[in-house]
Amino acid sequence: MIEHGPLLERLLAGQSICAVTDEEAFRRLQDEVTREELNHYLRPLNRRLAQSQDGSVFFLAYQELTSDAREHLSREFKQTIQSLLPLLEWMQLVQECLGRDSALSAGDTIKLQEFVLKTEDNQSLRLRLGQLASDRYFKSGSDNLDTQLKLIFKRLKENGYLFQPHKDRQFYVVTGKIEQLIELVRFIKDEESLPLEQESEQESLF
Amino acid sequence: MRSAGLQEKSLNSKDSKQSPQSRLQALGVERLSLLGKYAQPLMQTYISGYFDETSVSEQALDKLIKARLLWRPDEQEALCLRPGVNGLIASLTEDERKRQINADIAGQLDQIRTRVTHYQDAQYRGDYAASEHHFQLLTEKVHDMTGQFSDAIASLWNRLNSDFGFVSNLADKIRENELAQKQLRRLLDGFELIDFNEMIELAQSNGALRKLLVSQLQVSISDHASSLLEVQKRLVELMARFRQQQERVQLIASMSAFLKQHPNFRVGDYANRSKVPELVNQAKPIIANAAIGLDRSSDTEVLAELVREIPIEHQGQIQIPQSGGEFELVDESLLQAREQALKEDVENFFIAILDTAPGEDRGLSALEYLQQRQLDWDAEIWLFQVIAEFEGLATEFRCSFILEKCTRELDPFNQVDIIYDLNLRVNQGLVLK
Repeated sequence: MIEHGPLLERLLAGQSICAVTDEEAFRRLQDEVTREELNHYLRPLNRRLAQSQDGSVFFLAYQELTSDAREHLSREFKQTIQSLLPLLEWMQLVQECLGRDSALSAGDTIKLQEFVLKTEDNQSLRLRLGQLASDRYFKSGSDNLDTQLKLIFKRLKENGYLFQPHKDRQFYVVTGKIEQLIELVRFIKDEESLPLEQESEQESLF
Repeated sequence: MRSAGLQEKSLNSKDSKQSPQSRLQALGVERLSLLGKYAQPLMQTYISGYFDETSVSEQALDKLIKARLLWRPDEQEALCLRPGVNGLIASLTEDERKRQINADIAGQLDQIRTRVTHYQDAQYRGDYAASEHHFQLLTEKVHDMTGQFSDAIASLWNRLNSDFGFVSNLADKIRENELAQKQLRRLLDGFELIDFNEMIELAQSNGALRKLLVSQLQVSISDHASSLLEVQKRLVELMARFRQQQERVQLIASMSAFLKQHPNFRVGDYANRSKVPELVNQAKPIIANAAIGLDRSSDTEVLAELVREIPIEHQGQIQIPQSGGEFELVDESLLQAREQALKEDVENFFIAILDTAPGEDRGLSALEYLQQRQLDWDAEIWLFQVIAEFEGLATEFRCSFILEKCTRELDPFNQVDIIYDLNLRVNQGLVLK
């Protein structure tokens, strides 16, 4: 058990573990015996090991949904919902800006400098980025493109969507948490029966 | 191009042996060299789709048309490359945008059957020269056909491995993938048309024919078929991935559009449902903290070691005040006695100003005061402290005083003034109680 100490600590601290953030730990978590051991330890803390539907991320969930737990979940969920639009907008922006034809997914790399270069000369991207940066999720008060972008990326790193392999290099890798976000979007769409399909059908017809 | 050449070849073979062969040779060389000579404009045509007629002389233009390299599909239209030349360049440059896959196997089989009959006929007649010639053409035909298959397969692999990178967006990639799958299906259908029983019958007892039409063909066709099945599997996988990506892009775009249109959109209270959805259940962080525990004797050595490693802070060093702080902020017990004394002297200076006789000019020079009282402060430090004291006063008190800085220019060439004395006066306009 002692060898899982650092991993447990990270999980308890609320970090999610994916192949990008910690490949070694992620590999260890694939083992069912290890998972059972961890769960055994987590039980008195009312925690259990959970993973995203596609299996790309591990995190801790409540074992039993006490009222305290529900209250916390409710609060967290509200925050996630509030951050949904800026995050989706950011994903679109990255995709358009870097001229990719697929949406961001775990393991994709983004160089901040490339992003700056592409945005600099494009007035409409520049404008959208400015709006995004001033969103209350990112809270940037700056007019400077470089500062805005650095803040956005810093915030996304803090919230676990991006991983920065080298502290002093502005080079980021998208983590598995983005997959969780997409799963959540899909879930909300189905659960609230949002009429999103029609719009996308129209797009594909076009 | 090729079929035209073949026709010429076969027509010529019926006439006298030597000259037509060498004529064909000469003509071919001449026309091939045109390709090299006009490589630049021809390649430009390949890219832009039309030939720039002003780029070459009229004579050259004529030659290119005669050599069947260029043609005008319609009177009104610009000159462009003949399909054969287009195909040749596409194949040479492995340009997947234009590379074609010829899946017309039935037609090729017909040609093979005819060729076999020619050959057998010639053999029957005892015309060895003709039969040899027909056999050579037949071999070419069979090799052409299998060569086309391997070209087609290579082209399909190429497209697969580059993720259809020759088109830029996802929708195009999906369409290209669909096209590739159709071509592939047609190739596989074509393979089924090759009936080896028929081939065996065609070859009869002729060893060379058997080898060419049965054993060689069979080996290469079965190789190609398994390769194609692999390509097909991969194409389908890639298509699934493309579709997934497309779905994802659309999901993000449509949700983001929806949220923008409905800023007051509220989702259900998932956390308080009887069955909480898995993906909402993310536990609150617990920070595993620990403190120094002295209750276990075995740890004392380690802890003592840690204590020894703590660097000792050296105190001492009198701090010369850089700027004065407000009285309220200063913790007296921590102040150096000297600093406190300086402050007190400065305060006394301020009080002395207020004590000056009312009326006339109630003011004093700071340096004069310093001398009068015979205080033991460095003049500069004294002046600094007076300024600091003045700036540090609460606004309501500060406006009771007027601090006049007596300055002189340090040097006529720069703008540095130095303060050599201070004159502190009571603000006559405001009468302090």
